[in-house]
Amino acid sequence: MKWQNVYTNEELQHNVELLLEEQRKQKRLDGWFLIKEIQAHYEKEFITFDPELKAAQLLKKVVAELPLNISEYAVFAGTQNDAFSPSYALINPAFKVESFSGYCDPTAIFDDVVPNEEISPSRINKIRTYTNNTGYVQELNKVYDKFRLETSEAAFFVEQVTGHLIPDFQPALVEGVESLLQKIKTKLKTASKDKAPKYEAFSIALESALILAERYATLAAGLAEKEPEPRKTELQLIAETLRKVPHSGATNLFEAIQSFIILWQVMCIEQSPNPYAFSVGNADRIFEPFRAMENCERSKAASLFKHLLVFYNVGERSWAISQDLIIGGRSNDGADLTNETSYALLDAYYETNFPQPILSVKLHRNTPSRLFEELGRFFFTPGCLTPSFFNDDSLFPILKKNGVAEEDLENYAVAGCQEPLIMGKDNGNTTNSWLNLAKILELTLNNGCSALTGKKIGLSYAELGLKDDAPLSVLKGVREAFEKQVGYFVDKMVDAANGCSRVISLLPIPFLSSFMGGIETGVDTRDIHAQGTKYNGSGCLIHGLSVVTDSFIAIDSLIKERPEDAGRLLNNLRNDFKDDETLYQYLRACEKYGNNIPEVDQTAAQIATQVSRLITAKKNYLGNSFRPDWSSPSTHLLYGYWVGATPDGRKSREMLGYGVDPLYGEASSGIGFRILSLKNLPFELMNGGYASHFGIDPKYFPEETMAEKGSAFQKRIINPLFFGSDQDHSISPFYLYVNVTTPEMLRKVLANPKKYAPSGIYIVRIHGTFVNFLDLSPAIQNDIILRLDLQSTEM
Amino acid sequence: MRCPWCSNPEGLSKDGTLMVDEGKLVDAVCPNGAIQNQKIDRSICLSCHSRECITKNKNLGIRFPCQRYSVKSLIAEVQRAGSLFYDGGGVTLTGGEATMQFEAVKELLSALKASNINTALETNGTHPRLPELFPLLDTLIMDMKHYEPGIHQQVIGIGNSVIIGNIKKAAVEHADTWLRIPLIPGFNDSDDDAHQFANFFKQLSYEKVSIEVLAYHEFGKVKWNQCGMEYPFKNGCLSNGRRKEYTDILKKYELNLIHT
Repeated sequence: MKWQNVYTNEELQHNVELLLEEQRKQKRLDGWFLIKEIQAHYEKEFITFDPELKAAQLLKKVVAELPLNISEYAVFAGTQNDAFSPSYALINPAFKVESFSGYCDPTAIFDDVVPNEEISPSRINKIRTYTNNTGYVQELNKVYDKFRLETSEAAFFVEQVTGHLIPDFQPALVEGVESLLQKIKTKLKTASKDKAPKYEAFSIALESALILAERYATLAAGLAEKEPEPRKTELQLIAETLRKVPHSGATNLFEAIQSFIILWQVMCIEQSPNPYAFSVGNADRIFEPFRAMENCERSKAASLFKHLLVFYNVGERSWAISQDLIIGGRSNDGADLTNETSYALLDAYYETNFPQPILSVKLHRNTPSRLFEELGRFFFTPGCLTPSFFNDDSLFPILKKNGVAEEDLENYAVAGCQEPLIMGKDNGNTTNSWLNLAKILELTLNNGCSALTGKKIGLSYAELGLKDDAPLSVLKGVREAFEKQVGYFVDKMVDAANGCSRVISLLPIPFLSSFMGGIETGVDTRDIHAQGTKYNGSGCLIHGLSVVTDSFIAIDSLIKERPEDAGRLLNNLRNDFKDDETLYQYLRACEKYGNNIPEVDQTAAQIATQVSRLITAKKNYLGNSFRPDWSSPSTHLLYGYWVGATPDGRKSREMLGYGVDPLYGEASSGIGFRILSLKNLPFELMNGGYASHFGIDPKYFPEETMAEKGSAFQKRIINPLFFGSDQDHSISPFYLYVNVTTPEMLRKVLANPKKYAPSGIYIVRIHGTFVNFLDLSPAIQNDIILRLDLQSTEM
Repeated sequence: MRCPWCSNPEGLSKDGTLMVDEGKLVDAVCPNGAIQNQKIDRSICLSCHSRECITKNKNLGIRFPCQRYSVKSLIAEVQRAGSLFYDGGGVTLTGGEATMQFEAVKELLSALKASNINTALETNGTHPRLPELFPLLDTLIMDMKHYEPGIHQQVIGIGNSVIIGNIKKAAVEHADTWLRIPLIPGFNDSDDDAHQFANFFKQLSYEKVSIEVLAYHEFGKVKWNQCGMEYPFKNGCLSNGRRKEYTDILKKYELNLIHT
């Protein structure tokens, strides 16, 4: 059966709209709970098994017994709904910064299950208790308990990393899962006693995909018998397809996407609940061979891709966030890799404008102008999603310098918000640790004590080796003391992060491991004794660069101009500038980062260099380096809440700067100077990534057509930012996301959504995820409006 | 010049002007008592040399919008900004009126040209030595506010003979001159004014000259208050579409019209 004869483009569009509508009505997501019950039920049967084998067997049981359905509008069979719970706080309208406590309690998710006729409170409690008593939760609690003091006010944070990887499904798409099973059989013939159970686990786990495919095929065939045309044929197509893939290789685009979805579904079930930020990888390169096989023309391909995109939208608010799909880029020898599928995917994105999956675009100096022309519509259509950008010309040398082999460079993709990982080969543990430099500065200035609670959390003046505790001595010695304090907390953070990684290894992931190099190495991706993936590291998200920079500059000014006020400054930090408007304004009026002031920019660069090097020098559970990542996915709000007043004039509990950006409102010299400030940062040391956002006023792009505007966007923003002059030998910035709108426009959308967002959806971007602006909490809406910071991007 | 619609009043005085946001003033920042109850008495500022309000007591309520730079330091700054000159970009000198610092401007432009940096100057055209800068400029942007010397004198404070002379010279000698008419309601915005401007331009060697009409705006109005002055222009209302109508008249004369 030829899929192109079954569906017209219009039918595909119609169905995808109905599918999204169906998802948006989905308030309950209980699938993950059912998975937990199945696992709990069968756990005893496999209790003596090798951990990987046990995990594989349980996965097989889950896949065999989990209830399945196929929506009447579905073009493909498969869902992520069973892997996620409707609880990702930051896109929950009830989210409040002050009451958020992180994701470290694996049993907190049970609060999301609202008892009903089918799921009683006792049933929930039973599984909650079971989960709480597992070795995994018990060990995790020990880690968090050990570092409760340091994490209580977010000097740092740690987490056990789930999701946040980019599998390489291409071998299965091309050759079929059966070929992978044959490879494993071959490996088993010569495998050592230690490795044999792992290979068996991979084999059993991979069989889960075949089981799931067969179950859907049977379901579809059964439904087809009862349905009239055209649904009968559509269901027969699903059944026929799933009797071929993923068992065998795909030979057209429809089969490739269906195969991909089944594999993805199993991957998510394996890590249910909430494996955020699994990412697709270089999607145009993955699917182009299949599009080309049948010479599927662009609009048809786009229509089909819409049904891949809708798969990523889970529940009423698209809860499966930060799942990144990336297109474009160049090869290792500089050839452009944009292809017809790149443009078809763009069409699919534009015409659906769904909150997920997120879109990223790789650029290089010779990116064809056609791509920018096609991107214009994304930037300049109000309420439309916007891609983030990655600069291959910078990332290739950065990754190479950090150990990535030459042949792998072009295969970097992005996991989650902005973490660069090599597709199918890289376990970066990207969100393992989170460092709050602003909090550490507060503790340094306050004798190791919290300015908010008085609790001693850090090293005192004496422990930091300060000359004495006279205020002027403290201020004069602050940079050196801060560095020591950072070192103190980083050591603890690394200890805690590695503890989390050791705990998560109690939950092996044999299915995903098969697509992350496990078949070659015979080692699970999460193994802590041997390295299963070609590349391995642990991430550290570093917060507070602009606040610390501006604070150092303010302290230097005060020492120079009014040293007699040293004590006054420290007192003001403790009491949040109450009744001292004069000093508050003095500090606010000191020079700020983001305005191309050499001394300030050098300070920012020094801090970024020092802390990055410190982080890189730390080793994870496998002896690999931690990766400095200067991003703050809405955590600049959360962590700012735990920081008292700072010497830059920031008030207590106010948000920190976002990523490496100036604190909102402090860069007032326009986009040119802001770019120049940014370019001083040591990007070559940020191999974990970083975050930066420009709010752009569309008035600066008066060109007539979207294509012309896209071209202008390239010339005015991308080229100066990413592809500087030849005189500039340092590594250029490599990441950007934008929101092209104004505070006035967003306020209008809030005040009159029927007029400005008639579909009920107005997409804005927060770092690595698109969100419906109307769905957000007031705190997050306000953050987006403030961070547009249009003064900093005036042209 | 004393254009009543000036958008950069902080540059009207050659010594610069303190700009004040009274809502943020703190009395204690002035040791001389110039600020009382968040109101500033600028007569006290006239005799103040220490300027603690913008140094030791800097604050959010007062700023001084001018800074002194050596030409050498400006060149260094420009060279640091090289990555922004992608796709033909460079340095534009503007103001206020840049040619009020003529020697420094000439030195700076010479140094920029020697570094192969593209240069442009926005000027009101009043400096008699302006033609000396022509060889140092890739683009020359001049305002022409009125064609009639008497009206020019009456409203703006000086005549336009030097300006007209510089425009005529530029049209012949300079490769890329932009002439801009700031469209001011009640001053130069009538249909007859458009025809008069057009006839003037037609007399020039206008092949190398581009013409642009800029719509009146009041983005600088708030700065007059911040400088302690009252915004003098009272009839500031340009109807929607007037710029286009005006430009359409000029188009009939087959001039080289641009819109930047």
